[in-house]
Order: sequence, then C-alpha cells, then structure tokens
Amino acid sequence: MRSEPALSAPTIDRVSSYAEVRPEQRTPFARYRHSLWLLTQRDLRVRYSTSVLGYFWSILDPLVMAGIYWFVFTQVFERTVGNDPYIVFLLAALLPWMWFNGAIADCTRAFLREAKLIRSTRIPRTIWVNRLVLSKGIEFLASVPVLVIFAVIYGAPLTTGVFLFPLAILIQTVLTAGIGLLVAPLVVFFRDLERAIKLVLRFLFYASPIIYATSDLPAGLQFWAAFNPLSGLFSLYRAAFFPEQLDWFVVGISVLMSLLFLALGLFVFARTERAVLKEI
Amino acid sequence: MTAPVIALTDVGIRFRRNRRGRRNFKDLFAGRKRRSRPGEFWALRHVSFTVQRGEAIGVVGRNGQGKSTLLKLVTGVVLADEGTVHVVEGVAPLIEITGGFVDDLSVRDNVYLTAGLHGMTRKQIDSRFDDIIDFAEIADFIDTPYKHLSSGMKVRIAFAVISRLEEPILLVDEVLAVGDKAFREKCYQRIEELLAGGRTLFFVSHNERDLRRFCTRGLYLDKGDLVLDAPISEVLTRYNADYGIKPA
Repeated sequence: MRSEPALSAPTIDRVSSYAEVRPEQRTPFARYRHSLWLLTQRDLRVRYSTSVLGYFWSILDPLVMAGIYWFVFTQVFERTVGNDPYIVFLLAALLPWMWFNGAIADCTRAFLREAKLIRSTRIPRTIWVNRLVLSKGIEFLASVPVLVIFAVIYGAPLTTGVFLFPLAILIQTVLTAGIGLLVAPLVVFFRDLERAIKLVLRFLFYASPIIYATSDLPAGLQFWAAFNPLSGLFSLYRAAFFPEQLDWFVVGISVLMSLLFLALGLFVFARTERAVLKEI
Repeated sequence: MTAPVIALTDVGIRFRRNRRGRRNFKDLFAGRKRRSRPGEFWALRHVSFTVQRGEAIGVVGRNGQGKSTLLKLVTGVVLADEGTVHVVEGVAPLIEITGGFVDDLSVRDNVYLTAGLHGMTRKQIDSRFDDIIDFAEIADFIDTPYKHLSSGMKVRIAFAVISRLEEPILLVDEVLAVGDKAFREKCYQRIEELLAGGRTLFFVSHNERDLRRFCTRGLYLDKGDLVLDAPISEVLTRYNADYGIKPA
C-alpha cells in the first residue's frame, strides 16, 4: 500500500495531495449546469468566431424569411389572414419558429456530431440535447430586438400581453426539449429519420399558425389545430401585440401537449440511452 | 478495510456483431434483462471485483477481450446490461483523450472547455493553466487554433489536461503509444507521481515492462470473462503461459 502524504504537507509540490479540493465535490445539479453552460458557450463561440458576420446571422436568417413572406403576402397576393401590421404579426411567430426548427434540426445530429466527446466524458447525456435547446434559445433572445424594432417602426401597440412572453418561452423550452429528447436517440438507430424530420419540419411550418392565425382556419379545423402545441405557443407570443389572438383553450392544450412530449421524450431517452452509447 | 472505491458486481455488457444489423422499435425498448439475441455477443460477462483506494491495477488480455470496454464501464461512458458498476470517486479517463477538443477554438479555450467538462471550476483551471501548458511544452501555441497543432502536440496537451484533473481515480488506455520517447517517459513519471499521491490507477497495456512498473495487481480478461485476479506477476505469468509467449 502506498503511503498518503500528510495532509499538512506543503502543496507547492507539482502534484497536489489526495485530500485537496476536487471537482466532484460540487452537487450534481451544479455540475450539470456548469457543463451545460460550457457547451452552450462553446457552440456560440465556435459559430461566432468562425464567421465574419457572427451575431448578425441569427438576425439575418429570420429577417430574410420575414421579408420574403411579407413581400409575397402583402405585395403579390391580397392578404386576408393575420393582423396589421403584418410584418410584426409574422415575426412574432417566425422568430420562435426559428428557435424550434433550429433546435430540432440540430438534435437529429446531437449524438452523431459529438460522438468523440460523448465517448470520453460522462456528463449526463441529456445535456447533448438540452445544450442545443439552450443555444438556439439564446439566439432567439438575441433576435427579439428585431421584433421590437419593427413594432416601433410600424407603431404596433404594446399590450399587457407582453407579460405572457416569459410563459411562452418556458412552454417552448419544455416542448423543444421534449421533442429533442425523443428525436436525438432514435436518429442514432434509424438514420433515415434525419431526412424524414427535415420534411416533417417543413410541413409543420405551414401547418402551424406562422403566416396565418389559428382563427383564420376553417371552423372545422380550428379544434384540431389546437393539438399542434405550436398553435397555443405562437398565440401567446403574439398576445404582446395582438391580444385578440389569445385563446386560452388553445394555450391550455399546448401546455398539456408540451408536458406530454417532455414525458415521452424523457421516457424514450432513458430507455434507449445504453443502446445509444454502444452505437456511437 | 475501508469501503472499496470501485465495485463491479456480476457485470455484463453485450454488443451487436454487425453494425448494420436490423433494429426495430420492439428491440430498442425491450427490457435489458432479456436473453442474448442472435447476432449479439457478450463483450464482458459475470465480471466482479472490488478496488481499494490507492491500488494500481493492470488489465491484461489479448485484443478484443474486453479490456477497453471494462475501462469504459468504470468511466461511465457505456452502461452495463447486467449487474452494477459502483464508482464512488471521480474518474480522470485517459481514454480518447483528444475527444473533447474543438478544432476551431484556440488551445487556451480548449483547455478551459475540456477541463471544465470534466468538472473543474474556472478558478481551479486558472491556477493550473501554466502547469498544463508547461507540461505539454506548447507555450508558443496557446492562441493557435487546435486544428493547426501537430498530432503529437494534440495528444500532449490532451494528456496534460486530463492528468491534471485531480480526480482520485486514473484510467489509462494505451494512449501513450503516441508521442515521442521523451514525452512518454514524462507521462510515465507523471503517472508515478500521481500514484505516489494516493491515486487509484487502472492501466491497460500490452507492454509487460510498463505493467510491472506501475501495477501491483492484475486482472486477466479472456473471452469476456475475468479469468484471474491476482498480483501482477502471477497474472503475467499465466497470460504468457496461455498464449505461449516467452517471458521477456
């Protein structure tokens, strides 16, 4: 048996003694948060350090999209849906959609892209999904000023509905994490899912009230549209400028669906975790 | 006798033989207690042992007999299908050490990132940063993107970071095969220092001299079974006898 150095030994020695402070002593929750934050920071740093425009990319993307839809639906076609000013109506749902879409699309590669890192560290595996939700969420928050600027330019009146914004962000975090936890492990086994999910996302873009509102749908469809959790979510975001968009029935369903997805996601993730680790 | 720092009880893990094997949803959600299915094999089975604090253990066996898998189980980067793996203290894994490094970030950012992911706080890293860079001998390249380093430098910086983690358990999996002779000797000295500091060591190697140098106890794995758990010299004798290798 090797003898341990005395605890009082001076620690100028290159190797510190066994009894010294060790990283493990932090609580699991603090470690989780720490790792999550490090990886999110890394994501953002890599993205912004390798491109010249950096931060502006997270604004430019929704801006160009909004510009296209604004042109098509107000200049080319006679618009009968949504509210005025349409660009604000559009952006209020398009920006959160970018968060959702980006996070889920990235989740399809959550394990495959980080395989080396996952094989060498044992941080809780849900981090690989949650960090994507977080970094896309931060980009979303960074793009909110775009919405504010357009609201100011077009004079959209701000209502008390703006206080629902944090609630909307919370619901979206739950929903996105839930679907991410569901999708990420399944893609490892069924690579085809990666492309399938891209298709589903494109479909979902038009199936969700982004360029229109739920109330613009035919009466028969409105009830079913509520089961798309994004319907209630976007109506919450829009409540900041268009309180008439708020329908608590739809929001309620959206909350339920989000929690359901989170439960399902956690279940699938837990059941497939050991198979995923062997596969990557 | 104090409580063991590592305890494996009847541990088994199986893998699929062919990567392209058919997977279906039923398979994926089936309980892990299910019997082995065709096309799968047990990489390790019925492995039980305990490790006391401060022990230095060499893992011996031919290629593909489960040595690396055993280390991964102890690290916690794969999970057992049977039995329990109980590790009470933190682990510094020298397995795929360059895995956490990001090509586009500088060496400095990478050191903070990797050490952070292994659980060090910013302050702890600050205080050891110079040590790490000194050890890796790449002081001139601190702000160079990681991808521009030579492969030897990459391994050096990675080893420097992981070996500074101050974790009580150290796992080494043949990583030192790369790197020049002088650096390898430096790494070995570092491992010896860590051992002297009371660390627990798990060492996988095919090099008998290295095994004898560090380890006191040996585990001999063959065909997924733990064949022998004895002092290292006994284990090596048995291994050599089994596979007809003349003692060096």
